[in-house]
Amino acid sequence: MNGILNRRQALKVMAGFGGTMAAAVLPAKAEEHPAHPVAPPDAIAMLYDSTICTGCKACMPACNEANGLPADSLMSGGIWDMPTDLNSKTKNIIELYQDPNAWKAGEHVPKDVAPEGSDFAYVKRQCMHCLDPACVTGCPFGALKKGEWGAVTWNSSLCIGCRYCEVACPFEVPKFEWNNWNPKVVKCEFCFDQRLKKNMEPACTAVCPTGAVVFGKRTDLLAKAKDRISASPDKYFEDRVYGEHEAGGTQVLYLSRVAFDKLGLPKLSSTSLGHYGTKVTSVIYKWLSGPILAAAVLGFAIRRNWDRHEAERPEREKETGFPDQL
Amino acid sequence: MSNQQTADTTGTTLINHWQRGVPVSHERVFTPTLLFFSAIAAIGLAMAGVRLFSPLGAFSSMNDAYAWGIWKTFNVMTLTALGSGPLALGIAAWVFNRQKLHVVMRTALVSGFLFYSTGLIALGFDVGRPWNFYNAAFPWTWNMESAMLEISICMPLYCALFLSFEVLPLFLERFYYTGSERMRVLLRRVAPYIRRIYPFFLIGAYVIPLMHQSSLGGLLLLAGTKINPLWQSPAMPLLYLLAAGLCGLAFVILLLLTCCFRYSRSLDVDVLTELGNLLSCACFLFLGVRVVDILWRGQLHAAFAFDSMSILFLIENTLIAIPAIALRSKAMRETPRKLFNMAALACVGGTLYRFIPTTIAYAPARSTSYFPSVPELLMAAGYISLGIVAFSLAVKYFAVLPGDDRDWNHVFRPIGWLRAKKPVVEVKSVAVAKSEGTTAWPASL
Repeated sequence: MNGILNRRQALKVMAGFGGTMAAAVLPAKAEEHPAHPVAPPDAIAMLYDSTICTGCKACMPACNEANGLPADSLMSGGIWDMPTDLNSKTKNIIELYQDPNAWKAGEHVPKDVAPEGSDFAYVKRQCMHCLDPACVTGCPFGALKKGEWGAVTWNSSLCIGCRYCEVACPFEVPKFEWNNWNPKVVKCEFCFDQRLKKNMEPACTAVCPTGAVVFGKRTDLLAKAKDRISASPDKYFEDRVYGEHEAGGTQVLYLSRVAFDKLGLPKLSSTSLGHYGTKVTSVIYKWLSGPILAAAVLGFAIRRNWDRHEAERPEREKETGFPDQL
Repeated sequence: MSNQQTADTTGTTLINHWQRGVPVSHERVFTPTLLFFSAIAAIGLAMAGVRLFSPLGAFSSMNDAYAWGIWKTFNVMTLTALGSGPLALGIAAWVFNRQKLHVVMRTALVSGFLFYSTGLIALGFDVGRPWNFYNAAFPWTWNMESAMLEISICMPLYCALFLSFEVLPLFLERFYYTGSERMRVLLRRVAPYIRRIYPFFLIGAYVIPLMHQSSLGGLLLLAGTKINPLWQSPAMPLLYLLAAGLCGLAFVILLLLTCCFRYSRSLDVDVLTELGNLLSCACFLFLGVRVVDILWRGQLHAAFAFDSMSILFLIENTLIAIPAIALRSKAMRETPRKLFNMAALACVGGTLYRFIPTTIAYAPARSTSYFPSVPELLMAAGYISLGIVAFSLAVKYFAVLPGDDRDWNHVFRPIGWLRAKKPVVEVKSVAVAKSEGTTAWPASL
């Protein structure tokens, strides 16, 4: 037996060789949509601290100017920019939360009467630039994509206007130009083309006079936010950073005294939507194996039944006196 | 004509009368009903034409919270379930060899084709930037993990290639019997090739809708918590597919019974009971997966909370459970009126399942209200009416509806404008044809 491989040994060698080849040829790629994505080291971020924001709204005209957006002056009678929500003219907005119990209409409740932290707070809203964005996962022709440094940008020449991004986004950020014949999807793009590429920080963080919103690397800003929490315990809601884990993690981080959901930041699980939405289909559609397998199984049965049908056809036609109909 | 008619209590004959597709030849083409639907279709399409030159906002009450209006949620996501008859019946007939069902395939195919094509028209006017759809021809732009991509490629492909191919024999058959001798020679030459490639097309015609009907459910996974947990589930792709099968079967039953009543056709007890049986099985399958899914995700308490969502859930599933149970009884399946009612319930239940997650149970946090605007409703009604008009013309000019082959000698209604002459039916008994050995149909389309 020496020198000659028996069947079992040969199989073992072949299996080993095949495995090595597969490992060498097939890229050892990480999972496409991990449940809890890890931010790449160059990921940028914004940190917004609601306790610092004075609601001056300097970031809003700065955003409009940088992105060439018109003022939304519908509510102000055509005088000044006064959007009521993120919309097709507004990529960035400062909103005010007021506790309905602390601030009843026409009745001023003194601050010391209202429970601590329940009075009011500002919140800045724009695209969260998720680590695993649902809009990018859903976008059929890749018009929305997560590019360099993690900025989620929109490409007008690939978008068919299906508005799936609006359905998919858990933060309800992408907006559609309903009143434009050539509608665009409008959302914060981290000032990617306008400023980031020219080595400038986004307009909103550059202009913020109080430092309520700051720009930096995500790892740095996360550390900074945690430092603030540990420096003043009990100041921040739940002593945590919103966006660290929400929807798998986002590249905009929030600190707030008021509960996040009261500010309009939804309660979300830490699993990314992309993972939830593709964990089954990514297996079924891997190399189109599912459809090919289905085609093989169906094809086998169809072929057999078709041949049977065709074999019986002449007799059936003769019997009924009519041709077979498909 | 038939010598073995028996009448049941509803006056409908229930012996087997369906041998083949037979055109409706003794009815007027332009009835008031048809003109009514034509008018709605014309209004809807005219508005759609205007919409091409106008932004969406002026035509619909869609907004950024409810970015999908009824064109997507009803005309496409709901009505293509009713148009899944070719898928459900085809798999039963060609994969599971239910030979009886071949005779009703044409009805299913024509209705399915019309549901899909009108749905795609709706989609074409719904998307905001249709001119960028050329990217479908460039696979390197495809986002392979997007369910929306799968739908936007597979739905037009299915309708334009596979359903059209399956509907093609209707036209060829008509051309064969009404055309010139040269046409007949040509078709005789072509027919064997069609039969050779037919089974391969059948594979595509089942695999592709299996993919996109499940992807319609897959779409909604990314909507996450916006959809009520009674509907939002990882099982949605499977449930959407099962609902498509259920609705497809139920709608074919409904359509067959409606048309046979409308055009005074006799019925076929074997085919109808077979369909009823399959429908009952499809309903049970759907409910089984639905119940397991609810239990698995621990949402049983929400299902019986008796709030508005829970009541909606219970109504939807009761509508499916009633036909599932009732159609187990042979007497139910064999009584056309009862079968019709049960199929109607299943249709409503199944379409509710397909409609609710994108509309009633879809509640984004910054919810605004959405109710379709008048132009939106008119356009949606227009697309549906277009389908009705086309179907009504199809059954009159082509051999679509199943019928008794003794009633028909391959004479087709001539195509004329407004005053179609009554066709001259060549009365030649089958026996005579047989004795003459006239095999005037080697085309066998």
